[in-house]
Order: sequence, then structure tokens, then C-alpha cells
Amino acid sequence: MTVWDHALLGVASIFSGPEAFSVLGISISITLVMIALGFLMGITVGATPGLAGPMAMAIALPILISIFGYSQDAFLPVMGFLIGIMKGATLGGAVPAILFNIPGTPDAYMTTFDGYPMAQKGQAKKALKVAHLSSVSGDTFSDIVLVLCAPFLAVLVESYIDLPEKTGLLILSLAFIAAVIGDSVGKGLISMGLGLMAAMVATGEDFYPRLTFGMPELAQGFPVATAILGVLILGEVFKSIEDMVRSGIRPRDTIKSTVDGDTLTFKDVKRLAPYIARSSLIGTIIGALPGIGSTLAATLGYTYARNRYASVKAQDDPAFGEGAPEGIAATEAANSAVSGANLIPVLSLGIPGNAAAVFLILGMESIGGFNPGPSVFRLPSDGINPELVMAFGLFAAMFLTNGLNWTIGGVLMRAVGVMARVSTEVLLPVVLLLTLTAIYVQETSMAAIWIAVGFGILGYIMRRVGMSPLPFVIAFILGGNLEQTARQAFAATGGDPFFLFTHPIAALFMLMSLAVIVFNLRKSPS
Amino acid sequence: MKTFLKAASAALLLTAATTTATLADGHAWKPEGPIKMIIAFAAGGSADTSGRLIADEMTTATGWDIIPEQVTGKGGINALLALKDAPADGTTIALVVTESLGYNSAASKEAGVSPADFTGLTTTAGFQMGVVAKADTGWASFDDMITAAKGGKDIRFGVMSPKLADLAYLLGEANGVEFNIISVKGGKAVMNGVTAGDMDVGFMAGVQGKGVAAGDLVNLASGMSTALKQTPDAPKIADLGVAYNADGYYVFVAPAGLPDDARAALSEAIASATGTGKAGGMITKAFGGATNIMGADLDALLQAEYNNAGALMQAAQ
Repeated sequence: MTVWDHALLGVASIFSGPEAFSVLGISISITLVMIALGFLMGITVGATPGLAGPMAMAIALPILISIFGYSQDAFLPVMGFLIGIMKGATLGGAVPAILFNIPGTPDAYMTTFDGYPMAQKGQAKKALKVAHLSSVSGDTFSDIVLVLCAPFLAVLVESYIDLPEKTGLLILSLAFIAAVIGDSVGKGLISMGLGLMAAMVATGEDFYPRLTFGMPELAQGFPVATAILGVLILGEVFKSIEDMVRSGIRPRDTIKSTVDGDTLTFKDVKRLAPYIARSSLIGTIIGALPGIGSTLAATLGYTYARNRYASVKAQDDPAFGEGAPEGIAATEAANSAVSGANLIPVLSLGIPGNAAAVFLILGMESIGGFNPGPSVFRLPSDGINPELVMAFGLFAAMFLTNGLNWTIGGVLMRAVGVMARVSTEVLLPVVLLLTLTAIYVQETSMAAIWIAVGFGILGYIMRRVGMSPLPFVIAFILGGNLEQTARQAFAATGGDPFFLFTHPIAALFMLMSLAVIVFNLRKSPS
Repeated sequence: MKTFLKAASAALLLTAATTTATLADGHAWKPEGPIKMIIAFAAGGSADTSGRLIADEMTTATGWDIIPEQVTGKGGINALLALKDAPADGTTIALVVTESLGYNSAASKEAGVSPADFTGLTTTAGFQMGVVAKADTGWASFDDMITAAKGGKDIRFGVMSPKLADLAYLLGEANGVEFNIISVKGGKAVMNGVTAGDMDVGFMAGVQGKGVAAGDLVNLASGMSTALKQTPDAPKIADLGVAYNADGYYVFVAPAGLPDDARAALSEAIASATGTGKAGGMITKAFGGATNIMGADLDALLQAEYNNAGALMQAAQ
């Protein structure tokens, strides 16, 4: 079977899965329904300040798995829903940023700079349209790069990279993530170290579970989803509650925009196109590197566009920060272009680059039958590689979500503006309840709830001391993999303890790990 | 006439009632509530799939509610520990391999599990344990590999359990070479490693079937006391100078002290599920057909594996 046969099967699997309902005799598969629902949820969540895509993905995953089970039929509906959320949230984040000057997601912060002034000038509709056009363009571009690059990179990795090099690459990814996330390299390294330590519990080659202090609840290690939900979500909830208690409940700013008959003309689109294109490229490159999220992509895209705009703008055009549509376009194209490219390291190496990718990997691992990594893109000489079909199914789901984004995304954006008025004191208890329910649904034991609360306290402390919990989460996920690969590399080299330094490519990765840490240490804190 | 009809219909009703009662008696034992089926294998692999399909077939045949649950890790010891303290009333069973109760239990004395803690129900299928290499290595036989090793090539040997690591070591020792033995999790990981070129050869317990049929992989030897069904000409491990073997089965067990009627009903239900419907088809495809060892034969098998483990460990030291 050729690559095309796999691609066709993959696309077909989206449409031909178990039927949800039928319209005029045409059956609509459950996967399609889940993609659409995920997308709706994503836009809504994105538009709600205080909620973000990864949060919704985290809470949805255990619930989805309890509904669909672990069979391979569950793969596309569950992953389709998660992808829908991921893409919808990026779009939704711009809505409150433009209408109410509150970014719905952190990466939409720069959108407020020009979006809100435009809304105040009565050009809210135009601003939303610019955001929609640039966000969806960036996203689609990024997905195309993903489909073209991931298989290529995977094949490259497989042919040149052996076990010692794989170990080196994992160490490099962790070093990179620890160094670039957050303001302090030291805190990033501590966060990563804690994650590795948590991953050590109850794993290893021996028959007895290590580091469990004899507690049978820990014999299988910390349940992955439970620990991650604890650190990422409960930690955030605890911190927000404290913020609320300290500063009191403040009513949200609910300035209403005047929606005039402002329109986006073809001339505007032509003028915006270079900004969208440049930012899409920036976002895609940033997205493909593990650990750098959409917020940095947005900042880079915006800064680059501002410098360029200053030199070419006409006299009477608004400057950046005063309501220039170019500002919205540059930000939104960059932050949306991250979402496709961040699947490149996920699919080709099994390394998650940001929080959204963490939950996609968790989804893949929980369901089984799909092991992200080079084996996904292997073409067997006979028969089919089911993983490759699943990968094309994922790609198809992504493009389908883009289709929804292009068609109904704009209308939905205008509809979800109301979510910005949901107040924190209503939102927090709902998130807390949903998170604990999701954990219990998956683990069905009270021990899991206590573990989650424990990790929540850890997440709270990390936030209080200004330490990003993301290196913790990514190290926690990669820890087992790192240990196994290192053990295997050690065995494969006939017990050479210096395998990381005697193999040239592995040694290069180690050098780069060191360099990335040192370089970021020297950088003045922002 | 009317009286006759009345009498006849009454007799008919009575017969029907008795028949139903007799049929019900045939399934005298019934679980008190849903059965938890602990699966000691990672979700999505062939062992896990077989367990889930068996659960489906059992539910279809008996109406029992069966809930599969993953308890993985430590070569099945985690699953056995979870099963050990469950009530011995047939509401908790586990799918493991004979090796979990044999070598692995013996090797981890501090875990505190042994065959005496469990009631064996039935095996579902035997391993088709082969020593497998990728076809493009050019090795057509085990000897070819040994020749390559003696010619100075480092051979990486993938295994998925400590018992197999011992066997791989002994295989090397008996043939005058030293393998670099790489331990990974599960047979599928060995296959991926061999296919990707991270390993040169590895033990695979049936997962290699498709690849061997397609000509991508080669069974160089049988790891068992019997020949491989797919490659009957490959030498057996005993022919290669190793006195131990990797014979083993997938097996369902319950906690010790399971009442006899429950044991019989569960064993029968599982065994018939391994031969019917999707479960039967899958087991035939992946493991070359169902093998059902139960009752006293199974008890003897499990105890023997446990007792023999020490000798293998000693030999590989």
C-alpha cells in the first residue's frame, strides 16, 4: 500500500466511523460530530477569560475516555474533539480581547493593543473579521507544514538516530523547555527536575515499585492524567481563589462596543496579507520547537510587524497600539500558526512542545494503538500500517476543523462575546467541580482525588514562587521514556557508561543542551 | 374435548416451566454483580485486545456484566497484587501470563505472591515465541547470526521480560558469543525496535506473525520446547544448547479459595469464549489458535513454572 492509499483510508475513517445520526439518508459519523462539538466548546472556552484550551482539553479527556473506552474506534472521536478544542480556543481568545480589552487566552494579549481601540472606534466587526481571517490563515498554513514535515522529519530521525542519540535528543528537549519557558532558567530546571522525580515513582526495571513508601495506591506510579490535572488546573484554581480573596471580587469591565456597518474590504485583505504571511511563518517555526508556546509567537509576530509597519505606513493610518488592523493580523496569525506545527515534534518524536500537545499525547497514550514516534510513518512492504492511517485521520480532522473555522468560525466569534461576562467567582467552582469529577471518572478511587489535590498544592506553590509548571508536566510525561531509552542505549552499547559522549550526534545534542542553558542564563531577565 | 385441551395446555405449560428451570440449573453459578476483569497488559496490544474480546463473548453467552480494567507493570505482579486481596467469589479475575505467576513471582519474593495465592481458571492461548530478526539483515538462520557475531558484529538482542533476558544470555553463552541484551516493555516494543534497526534480533511471542508472513521478518529459532507453527524448520531453543525455554501461556486467574462451582463456571465460560466469535478469530490470528488448560493440569503447570524459575536464574548468573 502506498502513502496515498493510507491517506485515503485515513480521510475515509473520519467519515465512515460509527454513525451518530443521519441526515436525508446520509450518515454522519460520530467523529464528525465530536470534531464539531469540540470546535464549539473551544471557541466558547477561548472566549471565556480565565479558561484556556488546554484546561478544557484536560477536563474533557478523562470524560471522553470513559464514554468511548480504550478501543481503536475511540481514537478519532476523542482526538477529533481535542483538536477541535485546541483550534477553537485560539480563535475564541481574540473575541474578548477585541470587544472588552480582556484577553480570553494569554496569547491574545497583544490582540487587545489594536483590537480594543478599533472596537472603541466602532470598528468591532471589522476587527473580529481581521482576527478571524488571520487566525484561520495562520492555522491552515501551519497544518500544511505539519503534513509535509512530520513524516519527513520522522524518517530522518529514524535513519540517523540510534538509541544514544535518542537519549541525547530527549535531554536536549528537556533542557530547551526548562530554559525557555518562564523567566528564570533555574526555576525552569527545578520544575523539570521535580517532574522527572515524580516520573520515577514506581517505575524502573525491578519487580518492586520504587519510591512508593510501601503504599499500594502508588504501585502503578502517579496516575498521569491525575497528576497533570492537579498541577495545571487545581494549582491555577487555588491561586485564583487566593487572588480573589486578597483583592476582593471586582466586577468585570463590561463596556459594550458599538457595532457599526464596518466591513473588511478586499483592499484591506490585500494590505494585511503580507503581515499574515510573515506571522504565520514565525508562528509555525516557533510551534515546531518544543517548549515555546503561542504567547512568544504572538509577541515575536507583533514586534516584527510593528517595526515593519512603522517604516511603510501612510501618514493618516493608525499606528500600532492605536487600532491598526495589521497589529491584530500579526498577533492572531502568529499565535494560531503554533497549533499545527506543535504537532510536528509530537508525531515524529513523541515529544510534546506545549500544554495542548501534552493532552494530545495523553489522549494517544490512553487510548492505545497509536504510539507517537517514528514508527507512525513507517510504510510496510505488505498490508497497511494502522498507525499511519490514524495519523492521516488526525490530519483530516485538523483540516476539517479548519474548514469549520473558515465557514462558521466568524459567525460564532460574534456570538460568544457574551462569555467574557462570566465572573470568576462563578467560573472557579465550576472548573474545580469538573476537574475533580473528571479525575474520579477516570480513576474511580478517592486516592486519585487526594493525589490530585497534592499536585494541586504543588502547582499552587510553583505559581506563587513564579515557577512555570509546564516543564514539570513535560518532564513528568517524558521521564519514563528518557529512563527507558537511556537504559536501552546503555545495554545496546555493551554497557558503555559514556554513550552520550562517545557518539558524535549524541555528544552534539549534549553540547547543545548545555549551550541552551548557558545562553538563556546570560540573557537578561525580561 | 374442551377438558382435554385444557389438560394438554396445562401439561405444555408445565413442561415449558420445567425445561426453563433445568436450563437455568445448567448455569447454576452466577456472579453476584459485575465481574472485574483485570488486564495486566498495556491497552491496545494484542493481549489486551484478546482479553476485551473474551469479555464481550462471555457477556453475549452468559449475560454476565464484565468490566475490563488495566493494571499494568512489573511483569504482571501489579495485576496479581491487585487480584490477591479481592474477594474470592468470582467477581474479580485477572488475565496475566504464566510467567507472571512463575518466574516473576519467584524473582520478586518481597512482592509476596506465589501460585498458592490464586486459583487458575484456564489458559487462553500459548506463545509462539520466536527469535526474530529483520529480513534485510540477510540472516536466514540462527547460525548466520552467530557467524556474524563471531565476525565482530555487536548483536543487540531485544527482550520483554527478565526471564527472556536470562534465556537470551544463555543462548549467547551456549553459542560462544555475548549479546547486548536490551530490555523493553512488551513484545510490540521489541518488534518496533527490530523494525527500526535499534535492535538486531529479539524475542517475539506471536506479534511477528504478520511480518514473517510478509517477508519483512524472519523467525531464526523457536524459543520454546516445540517448533514454531509458522516456521516449523527453525531450530528449537534446546537444539541450540539451552536447557530452559520460553514456553508460556496467557492465563486467567482468580484469588485463592474460589468455590469449585464458580471456578468451573468461569473456566468454562472463558474457554468457550476463546473459541467463538471475534475473540476466537483474533486469538487464531495472533496466537495460532486457543489453548485451554484448566483444572488440576493448570495447577500443576503454574506450580512447576514457579518451582523451576530458581534453576534458570541460577544458570544465568
